Amino acid sequence: MKRYYHVVAIPIRIVLNNFGNYNPDGMMYVLKENESKVKELVRKNPFTPVDLVQPLVIRANEGDTVEILFENKLPFATGMHFQDVDYDVMDSDGANVGFNDSTLVDYGEKIVYRFQAHHQGAFHFGDLGNPSSTEKGSNVNGLFGCLFVQPRGSWWTDPVTGKPMNSGVFADIHHPFLPDRREYAWIFHDEMPTLDLTGNPPLNPITNQPGESTHAVNYRYEPVENRVRLIEEGVVCPDCDGEEVHHDSWVFGDPATPILRGYVGDPAVIRVVHGGVKETHVFHYHVHQWFRDNTNPESEIIDSQSISPQSWYDVEPLYGLGSLHGAIGDAIIHCHLYPHFAVGMWGINRVFNTFQDGSQCYPNGVPIKALQPLRDRPVPPKPTKEKPGYPNFIPGKVGFKAPRPPLGIIGGRNMTELERNAAVPNPRPGAVFADPCGNVENPPVVEYNISLIELPIIYNRQGWHDPKGRIYVLDEDLDDICSGKKEPEPLVIHAPAGSCLRVNFTNRLPSIADGDAFQLVTRTYEVGMHIHYVKFDVLVNDGANVGWNYDSSVLPGETIRYEYFADTELKAWFFHDHLFANYHQQHGVFGAGVIHSRFSKFFDSKTGEQKLHGTQLTGQHPFIPDYRDFTLMVQDFSLIYDKEGRPLNPPQFPGSEDDPGLFGVNYRNEPLQFRLEHDCDPAYSFSSYVNGDPVTPILHAYEEDTLRIRLLQGAHEESHSFNLHGLKWKEQRPDIESRFISQTHIGISESFTLETHLPQSGDYLWTFETEEDLWNGLWGLIRAYDEEVDFLIPLPDKEAPPKRTKPLPNCTGEPPEKAKVVNPPLNAPANAPVKKFDIVAFHTPITYSKWGEHDPFGIVFALRKDMDDILSGRKNPEPLIIRANRGDIVEVSLTSYLEFEKFPFQDGIWPYPPVKEQAFYPPSVRISLHSQLISYDVKTSAGETVGFNFDQSAGPGETVHYKWFVDLPLGACGLWDMTDIRNHRSLGTFGMFIAEPRGATFLDPYTLKPVTTGNHVIIRQPFLPDIREFGIVMYDGARLVDKQEQLIVDPIAGFLLPGEDEEGDENPEVDTYDFGSRGFNYRTERLINRLYENADLEKLFSSKTHGDPSTPVFESYAGDPIIIRLVNPSERRRSHTFHLHNHYWNIDENEITSQVKSFVGEMVAGKAVDLPLHYGAGGFYEYPGDYLYRSGNIRWDIEQGMWGIMRVHSERKRHLPPLNYGKRD
Amino acid sequence: MKNEGIYPNMLFPTTNDIHDEALIEHFRAGMGHKLLAITPSFPFFFIGKIRDVVEDHVVVDVETVPNQELENRRWYIHVHNIELFFIEREEGPKIPELNDEIF
Repeated sequence: MKRYYHVVAIPIRIVLNNFGNYNPDGMMYVLKENESKVKELVRKNPFTPVDLVQPLVIRANEGDTVEILFENKLPFATGMHFQDVDYDVMDSDGANVGFNDSTLVDYGEKIVYRFQAHHQGAFHFGDLGNPSSTEKGSNVNGLFGCLFVQPRGSWWTDPVTGKPMNSGVFADIHHPFLPDRREYAWIFHDEMPTLDLTGNPPLNPITNQPGESTHAVNYRYEPVENRVRLIEEGVVCPDCDGEEVHHDSWVFGDPATPILRGYVGDPAVIRVVHGGVKETHVFHYHVHQWFRDNTNPESEIIDSQSISPQSWYDVEPLYGLGSLHGAIGDAIIHCHLYPHFAVGMWGINRVFNTFQDGSQCYPNGVPIKALQPLRDRPVPPKPTKEKPGYPNFIPGKVGFKAPRPPLGIIGGRNMTELERNAAVPNPRPGAVFADPCGNVENPPVVEYNISLIELPIIYNRQGWHDPKGRIYVLDEDLDDICSGKKEPEPLVIHAPAGSCLRVNFTNRLPSIADGDAFQLVTRTYEVGMHIHYVKFDVLVNDGANVGWNYDSSVLPGETIRYEYFADTELKAWFFHDHLFANYHQQHGVFGAGVIHSRFSKFFDSKTGEQKLHGTQLTGQHPFIPDYRDFTLMVQDFSLIYDKEGRPLNPPQFPGSEDDPGLFGVNYRNEPLQFRLEHDCDPAYSFSSYVNGDPVTPILHAYEEDTLRIRLLQGAHEESHSFNLHGLKWKEQRPDIESRFISQTHIGISESFTLETHLPQSGDYLWTFETEEDLWNGLWGLIRAYDEEVDFLIPLPDKEAPPKRTKPLPNCTGEPPEKAKVVNPPLNAPANAPVKKFDIVAFHTPITYSKWGEHDPFGIVFALRKDMDDILSGRKNPEPLIIRANRGDIVEVSLTSYLEFEKFPFQDGIWPYPPVKEQAFYPPSVRISLHSQLISYDVKTSAGETVGFNFDQSAGPGETVHYKWFVDLPLGACGLWDMTDIRNHRSLGTFGMFIAEPRGATFLDPYTLKPVTTGNHVIIRQPFLPDIREFGIVMYDGARLVDKQEQLIVDPIAGFLLPGEDEEGDENPEVDTYDFGSRGFNYRTERLINRLYENADLEKLFSSKTHGDPSTPVFESYAGDPIIIRLVNPSERRRSHTFHLHNHYWNIDENEITSQVKSFVGEMVAGKAVDLPLHYGAGGFYEYPGDYLYRSGNIRWDIEQGMWGIMRVHSERKRHLPPLNYGKRD
Repeated sequence: MKNEGIYPNMLFPTTNDIHDEALIEHFRAGMGHKLLAITPSFPFFFIGKIRDVVEDHVVVDVETVPNQELENRRWYIHVHNIELFFIEREEGPKIPELNDEIF
């Protein structure tokens, strides 16, 4: 089928909420048929949101051909670049790349884009004519939208009128034989320039300082700071503080942000898209769960999911709206990053249980819009006086806080008559309007008594502490924890699947939180325990105060009963307070529950006694191999002080959300600045011989034990990158075909279970690997013992370990012995082929671009045979990429040629790119090489000196040897140095190892001669066609200087179209982890250089104007099989998105049912992926041309040089032999 | 037996027929005994008494599966869907008692 849309890009005033916050310079795509209408509505309604001013969402079916007549009415050349569809790059790319024809159009001009949609999804489109990251850019001002591709044969109608529709964020989707479903667009975007009603930058009414950046959904945001003003002015709820009623419709009426309406049980999909420019957000949806990959029913079940710029996923709530137990009410949806949540990035999924024909009203008199029932679902009952339906049976009072729930609070009230009519047959505390445990007859009940208390928490041996720590504790541990007998740790409760959980929660916090260097006095007088994953009655049991629901928190001294049900093994779930979360979650107000398989039992790993809580337990099951169960909860914005009481990284003013405080894991940290015991050499910072064990968790196990690591993030705003050195796990745990990984990105509230096993004894390093995290102490160990210890029981289904014959090692203050490689390495057969690499590490200048950007102090890994060419300038270094095949033993000899005098900052203070909590850390002249994923003995060949393992680093002139075994064709593995993360990584100490399939040989693509390194090779195998392999090493945090040897302070130095932001600042706020230069493979192509040469924005990516970029141009012929190996082994915490135009791939290369996408999200330290392109070079139609590969972050990647070209030739070129050339010979 | 149909060279019973028949007979001999069967599809395992064998379906009075909602009912399990099984007899090891007691 062919579909036509006439789309116009227009300037528009965007009013973002009912308080009149607006963007005077907004831009949007709109259908031509709505253009004059939307302009007229905006003219007539200058201070209120207009329904038509929302991101353009158009729809098509799989297999459709779509023709877009695009018309530009903006004062610069612009276009529409569509992700995930198939088109001719010469006429429909919506960009002007390389030697392609431009498919952007100037003001007043039109162009036709044609493409086909070959798979389903929520495809982002946006502008590439003006990639500026500043407020003068297009994307930041709203120039983006989505194409939703439905199953073939679908059609769609307006959920209010039931009539066909051409565009709109909400639709009901129909199909001849699939169930009808609600479809909701949830388009995150950030950093939109915003003014308040008076035309001034919004001020925070509490701090009287500029408010946070705008974080919005579908051009709407509902910040707490607006609503608080109504309290301050005495308009509503005079006894309220602010945050606790932020989401309360009883007080304020409904928010301007999206309300996703449906009837209980309706099938639904939320199309989550990131149209913004900078932040990685976390989508969280109360009450409901979904498959991480909705095309793969063996993928993980989750309820929180990160999303980075210009990416998307579908959320299909299992069991439909209201989940398994049919919970009616308001389920809040929000970005879980608290400052984003507070500034308005939230909305509501409203689940009705009565028919809405447009004649009903909300309690505040606002009419309830009609809602068509889905055609194949029963029509809900009509509201009656006795049963008015949600929300009209709730005895609230408009303008005041939501009422407390019936039954739940000890000593609280009973039900009203209307409540009794609406209740389930057996209402009880915590289960009044839905019965979460009702699907099962007499389920086992596990009861916990939990309190939230305040106490000081000491984070490390240096006395860093939070004097106002706030934590959940079991009541039976209260005395021991308060008296210091037990150390505080996040509360982790355990239960088997199928249990009915009852929690008696008591608020024991002081009702006033004092002011300090970080925060202002706040009346945190009510708190709750909001839970994830499990089933619960959202009206009375949410531990929150949302929409027209009850306020299910309690006042100081009160106790409330919550009830949950775990219908299946849900791994770890997160709990926290939802009333004053933004105020105090970073003080420690978080914990986790773990739902194990049914019939499991849990034991204290030391005593063997049965136990139902703890961060380290031993799990036992009659069928499943027994396991160690560990929980790690990472946290940021930890508001801590040093021993003398000085605040660490305080904000500029109390109450600021500007990245205050530091970091922790399970309320601990082990900063590297304190681990310089031996000659102040960072190479031994992780060594327990030199510096003792860290205070962060050491996870104890015996070799060959199975592990389940529950990884969660408890606070507060940042992304983190968890890496496990020397171990790997299946990305989708229930799916045995899923790929192996050893790194995962995590955002607040996300939960992962990493199932792995310890192949042999030794200390395995776990890290949150980005530089600032690691520097500030986010790391620890898994310690696998080979002999019995008296503080660890054996796993019940394993034989006891041998009796101890040697004492446990101790801290000596001296470096450990040099590692002697094990022969053969772990798992390797004795006769395995051996591949040897003689690698050297040395100082050399690196030229990053043709514009003169360079690093005079570069440190690289290279093959020894290339060292002279690099040092003599004949070869400009690239990150080392080496390959071996499955079944190979890899012998690496690494020699250090580092010299102290050649480091840029010999005084031990590395100033740029910066980190929080700067301190002395002199450069190490030692070097090591750590590889991800493949198999080795961590004691001798992990490429790092960790715990009580041997020394695996090389000093100047020394050579260290490693032996690895390629047990699987794991593809891309990051390589990096672990001797000095502060003084080495920014200079280039990283590369890539590629674990190839058995039988592969590697040829230079131009000479066809065998090669041992290089970013473009032909993989030749005896039984398969040749494949081109492109190795892309994404990096950030580089320290570059320009032609005049002046430091380039990126991202600021790279801003296109700089100007003043709404606060009058020329340079917007740049977090520590945004600093540094970036690109691919030691190259960058910063657009500012091109703009200086030619001021035409339209030509920024054009090779006709500027020549090819300095970043790699990967060449191929149309239809060539291509695999991209992509890693990010560098250092900053800001996540990137990787996108390749007009090509796509399975997101898990091993799982053919996995989703097909054209981007990789959350690219951060340690990420390693393999992208076999569907249909090869040129995509589905094998069109030749230049295809942009790039970051999806407008702010601050693309203009800073993170882009390149994949060039697909149509005709044979003399310099590039075709694939399979000479193969028969 | 020689087949006269579209595969004239195929001999019946085939190896698969013999294999299936042996399985059916084995389950039939286990009637009245407790069975543990593991299947690749939901709900993945069953424990219960073999009540009958109907053609190539084993009829089990199921006491235990991973989810309580599906217990205490009669299941018809096709032999092809059973990847691994054990029939408890007096002389052999016992199938573990699975219960919801947490302590």
